Amino acid sequence: MAFTLYSLLQAALLCVNAVAVPHEERFLNKIGWGTDQSFGGLGEEPGIKSQLVNLIRPVRMVMRLLLIVLNSVIIGLLLLFG
Amino acid sequence: EAAVERRAPPPPSPTSAVGAEPSASGGRDGEAMDNSRFRQPAKTRTRGPMHVEGNPSHLFEDTSGNMDPPGAGYEGSSTGFGLSGEGFLSDPVVSNLAMAYGSSLASQGKNIVDQNIDRFIPVSKLKYYFAVDTIYVGKKLGLLIFPYMHQNWEVRYQQDSPVAPRVEVNAPDLYIPAMALITYLLVAGFALGTQSRFSPEVLGMQASSALIWLVIEVLAILLSLYLVTVNTDLTTIDLIAFAGYKYVGMVTGVVAGLIFGRTGYYVALGWCCISIVVFMIRTLRLKILSEAAAEGVLVRGTRNQLRMYLTMAIAAVQPVFMYWLTFHLVR
Repeated sequence: MAFTLYSLLQAALLCVNAVAVPHEERFLNKIGWGTDQSFGGLGEEPGIKSQLVNLIRPVRMVMRLLLIVLNSVIIGLLLLFG
Repeated sequence: EAAVERRAPPPPSPTSAVGAEPSASGGRDGEAMDNSRFRQPAKTRTRGPMHVEGNPSHLFEDTSGNMDPPGAGYEGSSTGFGLSGEGFLSDPVVSNLAMAYGSSLASQGKNIVDQNIDRFIPVSKLKYYFAVDTIYVGKKLGLLIFPYMHQNWEVRYQQDSPVAPRVEVNAPDLYIPAMALITYLLVAGFALGTQSRFSPEVLGMQASSALIWLVIEVLAILLSLYLVTVNTDLTTIDLIAFAGYKYVGMVTGVVAGLIFGRTGYYVALGWCCISIVVFMIRTLRLKILSEAAAEGVLVRGTRNQLRMYLTMAIAAVQPVFMYWLTFHLVR
């Protein structure tokens, strides 16, 4: 219950890490979440799963560099200040 | 078709109010310009940016005409300077020039600040959400606690933009959530004080917890709205307003708990939870579901089912938060 803005930032960073970590070729295609496999829904009903899959790729592309920087900063802060 | 018909014609009374307001502010302008002639360039320059964005003065009554008392005060002090001392500033022409320059500098600074702030926070959009009056607040609070008698939940539109909350009870506003949040913090401090658990840091922790849960909830709703591909006109600020309405129920619950003890808290909180669920479902049904489904007709298809589930989920999450944020305050 004792939330601070810092804990919210940490939680958000961990969530974005979870989106960016799984490898596209080795993992996502194996479980059917790859972007090259879901071109069936060109019609009216995209469905939740294809929306999610189409969300993962741009999020990775945009956040990669930012994630590197933010993760290094947070790791440094955690090492120094606990 | 009835729903479309209700939305198409703009109601006559707000447009007549729009017509009346600019002439009233124009009249006050002329009066101010007669009093102090050298203030004229400053006045027209500060009026400029406001009129560019389509005359928002119909939201509020224009009270910026009373810049005269400071002007009169300045004139009095300048003549005092002229009478008492010698030197450069005692010449009335120079002092007039100096004051004109100073006021133009001030208005330029104000313009720069306004433009820069408008880039980050959409101030004009925010103004819409605070255009409330006492009658609206009273009716809306009554709706939040007892939404069962209200028949018409649609928001009237006026030339493609929603009518100000002052005129339409169903429109969302930010005044009630903001005030309810602050009241919640005060009541939480009071409640903790009656249990001898109070210290000033606790208020800060409560504030940041409440705000962060609000942010998390709004982000979750935005994400699920994106996933279900709903085409609505719900803006982020609308969602913040809807998420903030539950603080009214929380405040009621905690106050009842303070007065009547634990049973009073449970009774009041239960009542407010059910009311908020009904309020949310009835309000969001019109915004998220398609036209046909909102009329009550059961439309088949996974898309409408998903939207229905989403509405139910948003409404069901409210009592959970209400309980979670208040149960530690009442012993």
